[in-house]
Amino acid sequence: MRITCPFCGERELGEFTYLGDAKPVRPVAGASEGEVFDYVYLRDNIAGVMSENWYHGGGCRAWLKVTRNTLTHEISAVEPAAGVGAAKVGA
Amino acid sequence: MAEFSWDVRSPLDRALVAGQYGAQGDAGVSLTEIRNFDLVQVIVRRGKAADTAQAAKARFGVATPETPKAVQTTDATLIWSGPDQFFVLSKDGKHGTEALAQPFASSASLSDQSHARVLISISGARARTMLAKLSSIDLHHDAFALGAAAATSMDHTSVTLWRGNDRDGLAVFNVLVFATFAESLWHTILDSAAEYGVAISHSEELA
Amino acid sequence: MAGNQKNRLTSGGLIDRSASLNFRFDGKSFSGFQGDTLASALVASGVKLVGRSFKYHRPRGILTASSEEPNALVELRTGARREPNTKATTAELYEGLEAASQNRWPSLRHDVMSVNQLFAPIFVAGFYYKTFMWPAKFWEAIYEPAIRRAAGLGRAAGTADPDHYDKAWAHCDVLIAGSGPAGLAAALGAGRSGARVILCEEDFTAGGRLLSDGGMIDGLPAADWLSRTLAELAAMPDVRIMTRTTLFGVYDGGTYGAIERVNDHLPVPPEHQVRQRLWRIVAKRSIVAAGAIERPIVFAGNDTPGVMMASAMRTYVTRYAATPAKRVALFTNNEDGWRTVETALGAGLQIAAVVDARPDVSPAHRSLASKNGFTVLHGSVSGVDGGKDGVRKISVSLTGGARAEVEADGLAISGGWNPTVGLTSYHRGRPKWRDDIAAFVPDGAPPGMVAAGAANGAFGLGACLREGFEAGTMAARDTGRTGNAGSTPVADDEIFSLAPLWHVAGKGKAFVDQQHDVTASDIELAQREGFESVEHLKRYTTLGMATDQGKTSNVAGLAIMAAVSGRTIPETGTTIYRPPYVPVAIGAFAGHHRDETFHATRLTPSHHWAAEQGAIFVDTGLWKRAQWYPRAGEKDWLESVTREVKAVRSGVGFCDVSTLGKIDVHGPDAGAFLDRVYINTFSSLAVGKARYGLMLREDGIVYDDGTTSRLAEDHYFLTATTAKAGLVMQHLEFCRQVLFPELDVQLTSVSDQWAQFSIAGPKTRDLLKEIVDPAEDLSNEGFPFMGAREVALRGGIRARLFRISFSGEMAFEISVPARYGEAMARNLMLAGRQFGVTPYGTEALGVMRIEKGHIAGPELSGTTTAADLGLGKMMSTKKDFIGRVMAGREALVAPDRQVVVGIKATDKARRLRSGAHIIPKGQTPGPGNDQGYITSVCFSPTLDQWIGLALVQRGRERIGEIVHAHDPLRGEDYDVELCNPVFYDPDGGRQRG
Repeated sequence: MRITCPFCGERELGEFTYLGDAKPVRPVAGASEGEVFDYVYLRDNIAGVMSENWYHGGGCRAWLKVTRNTLTHEISAVEPAAGVGAAKVGA
Repeated sequence: MAEFSWDVRSPLDRALVAGQYGAQGDAGVSLTEIRNFDLVQVIVRRGKAADTAQAAKARFGVATPETPKAVQTTDATLIWSGPDQFFVLSKDGKHGTEALAQPFASSASLSDQSHARVLISISGARARTMLAKLSSIDLHHDAFALGAAAATSMDHTSVTLWRGNDRDGLAVFNVLVFATFAESLWHTILDSAAEYGVAISHSEELA
Repeated sequence: MAGNQKNRLTSGGLIDRSASLNFRFDGKSFSGFQGDTLASALVASGVKLVGRSFKYHRPRGILTASSEEPNALVELRTGARREPNTKATTAELYEGLEAASQNRWPSLRHDVMSVNQLFAPIFVAGFYYKTFMWPAKFWEAIYEPAIRRAAGLGRAAGTADPDHYDKAWAHCDVLIAGSGPAGLAAALGAGRSGARVILCEEDFTAGGRLLSDGGMIDGLPAADWLSRTLAELAAMPDVRIMTRTTLFGVYDGGTYGAIERVNDHLPVPPEHQVRQRLWRIVAKRSIVAAGAIERPIVFAGNDTPGVMMASAMRTYVTRYAATPAKRVALFTNNEDGWRTVETALGAGLQIAAVVDARPDVSPAHRSLASKNGFTVLHGSVSGVDGGKDGVRKISVSLTGGARAEVEADGLAISGGWNPTVGLTSYHRGRPKWRDDIAAFVPDGAPPGMVAAGAANGAFGLGACLREGFEAGTMAARDTGRTGNAGSTPVADDEIFSLAPLWHVAGKGKAFVDQQHDVTASDIELAQREGFESVEHLKRYTTLGMATDQGKTSNVAGLAIMAAVSGRTIPETGTTIYRPPYVPVAIGAFAGHHRDETFHATRLTPSHHWAAEQGAIFVDTGLWKRAQWYPRAGEKDWLESVTREVKAVRSGVGFCDVSTLGKIDVHGPDAGAFLDRVYINTFSSLAVGKARYGLMLREDGIVYDDGTTSRLAEDHYFLTATTAKAGLVMQHLEFCRQVLFPELDVQLTSVSDQWAQFSIAGPKTRDLLKEIVDPAEDLSNEGFPFMGAREVALRGGIRARLFRISFSGEMAFEISVPARYGEAMARNLMLAGRQFGVTPYGTEALGVMRIEKGHIAGPELSGTTTAADLGLGKMMSTKKDFIGRVMAGREALVAPDRQVVVGIKATDKARRLRSGAHIIPKGQTPGPGNDQGYITSVCFSPTLDQWIGLALVQRGRERIGEIVHAHDPLRGEDYDVELCNPVFYDPDGGRQRG
């Protein structure tokens, strides 16, 4: 499988590390214990298109949100994580 | 009181043996370790892209690389290393961490990497053939043109790779590898290059 | 002619008759020529018997001339390079080649195990599941060892492989599998268009069937067209033809695997060269022009030596000038088989008869028969009379019921052709059946791939060229290459005519899968027993599971299953196709990742200095770390380590701790960021101070620890454990980029930038005063405990000094830019000489931290909380941080959790070992009363006995209690006392002085 890093271009799988489902959002401080439990432990496992967190550790070290079909490995979108490209914030 | 000498030793001090290595005849690969350089990691701070670009333009006369490229000026090379970050490679303290602290104050964070990396310059008629054993990226002259750069891995070891100016009509590939991995990667490079014949040297000159 | 090559034609073939080669097979000497395979040279020397079959030890001969060969498997080479199950049909002949037949004893001609044939009725499909069941205890002692000895074909060498392998990447626009007419036409189309092309050809010469079957292309004889085409392709700088290279796998994202047999054709690879190279190829488009494989017909005795595929027979005659027989019979159900008759006649061989299963043959063939004096029989071969010396006679069942017998010493067979659909089906594809050619063809393909030519069911030469050329040109256009491709090469298409025939009924074993000895009756048995699904058929009978993966048997097998189960062939279907297409040596997948180069090695800045001191090194992840520094006369490691600890605790020593992860944390929000990832507060840390920090996982379990210092308002220097350094960096980047994107913080790994040494012992300050610039104030007031700042050293360089102590002694850590690391080690020895300075390694480091009750890797087990480690009070109640909420879960704050305590044996002479479990004294050890385990142990020179740390239930409430340590792994049981984990200087006065 190859992933197209938005910064480096298409690269082989070995440069990346998979973390998991990108859907869960870390609850804000003050959230209930139940919400934190869900965030830590509940993950979708879709036979189909999923949004996933991948780390380009063997490359530019950007965290990426990858939209991938778990059945066919077809990757339809790759976006940088929210905090990447912060230098241009407010520009 | 004892006399203390503080000589620097390259991480390749023992492993690099200058001269011919591998197959006899004309060397298909030339390996040169470039020693004693200044290397600064510049990471642009939040919202400071324009300020950093301005500071770089003023200091180096060129724009900061925003895509994977290496830009050479008279006394420095700016090498893209990731989103919002680049390296400054120079010599003799001219653009070291201390020298750059004021120009980039408040616009970027600086981290000295001068001792954290080893720099190996690879050229020769079989350089691409040899590098194909270590690098998964396409180094064909069309795909990796003059000045192209990449943050990538060789043999599972993180490297920064860029193409400098050709030498004797042949492509030159510069590789920055983490110092503690350098000797190991050096041996892997030698094994990969041996069948083509290797010319090994070290230099203090940034090409 | 060299040697007795009694079946070598005096002229013709693509062999080099000026280069004679000597070789040995089963100890007997033979000769051949450059350009021969082992099989063709054996054929030329009249050798018919080459192996014994897997189960029944039946005599077997050479069936094919290519990589689908099921029978002619040999052990190639001897000694450490001996390679089992090598196909004689693809092994290139070289001077001095040694090969041996397999699976026979004492010899190929007289194999004792051929008695197995008497037990044939028992050894049917699935017999493993029905026999060897009783008595149960016989399985391990008797049945399994016996089966293991009998199983397998060739033998592995049993010693280390002396050869080297490597791996490489390649990139192209168009990847082509096969260099027959379709593949070469594709290469022309793509190459002329300006595409970057890689063509993989498994054979050592390009050309495919053109090398054996001839024909006319663009008005030229095939051989001339071939050499002209290869020359044109060789002149294109971006076209690369890789011979001896098999494309074996199709993976996601347009990546492919190929194996190049770089030097398999030489006895020993030349110096500096590898034997084989594994390729990972990235291609935008691919074309499978891998041709088709001729399929046999199944009939009794079809495995007799001398029965050979018709196309193989003509390959031996045309390409290798070797004749497998003198009087040839042909059994065919199609037009193509007749080409072997024409080839044989052209070589001066006799044709005994043609048995054609079709109702009619063409007038041209009738007249060929009458002109050359042989009969055409309409019917099927129903039996073969012959044995290890070959074919003698064949029996024929004529259409209409009569029988005939034909004397012949070779039988060529052709049941038609199966397109090579494997590569196109590797992404869970299934081929589709075409009735018109009675064969499976690709039905779709992985993204970017098309099939062309015979691989696509187009068998005519003209069609192969057309399809290949069009596929190549289209693929080039798709990748943006628009050069002028010129016109497609032109040839006629041969007539296609075929009457499907899979199995001829008759008495005697009729083999479907020759390599696994699977017969037609095995398939019928499987159906009777309910294993009708084609996937069950495969596993129950082992059809298609040998090294040839059923290339000459799968389709016949499922056709027979279809017939007995009343289904059509497409209804029966095929099994799932999986790579690799051919067996690939594991050594090739490993490349140079073996032995000392199995993974990269990281060396600390003082490594070579330590090696010069004679240090013993230990592998810690990728690192080599000095474990201890033995001195002459010391009898073992314990003596050395004990000396090092005593020297530090009474004087001064230093240890290279550069392996710890080190990260620069910069930016206006650096402190706020650290507050989010550590359990304690760092935004409040003053500049010039260090603080111990603990990080949790989001589930509340401790992740890592380290000492983080504030070097400037917006600059922190963070350390992490050696083991977790890379993961901590990844975790921090995740926090920065994903979790807390609003923070203005920048992270840089500086692990390699700094050489860091811990200097410890009561004489530390004395040593430092020698090396640090006299202007620096190192007094307790000038540089208090947990201070961190830059200092100047004598001789002009600057260092960072951190007053932190892992050992519990008065200690500092000093770091300098890494290339000064070796100089630092030397200078510390110089500076400390008058104080008896001692370099110490990781063992002494470990002893001292255990004596001080400092937790480390063994206690950061992935199950312990901060409170378990005695660090619960560090958790801030005033800020949110990773793991805060989950750390408060009921189970993680339960009072009966296992917590860190110290342990020491009640018998001072007792050696402790980590891993022993803690059981209440007097109870019988069992899972119900397992209260924890010993995590770390050491011999403490300070207490003159072994001590350790353990995780014990309610441990802190049980200080002084005697409990039982139970170690079933080492068979040890002994008493230990639970105690304060801080064995040494519990008030901490030594490190704060």
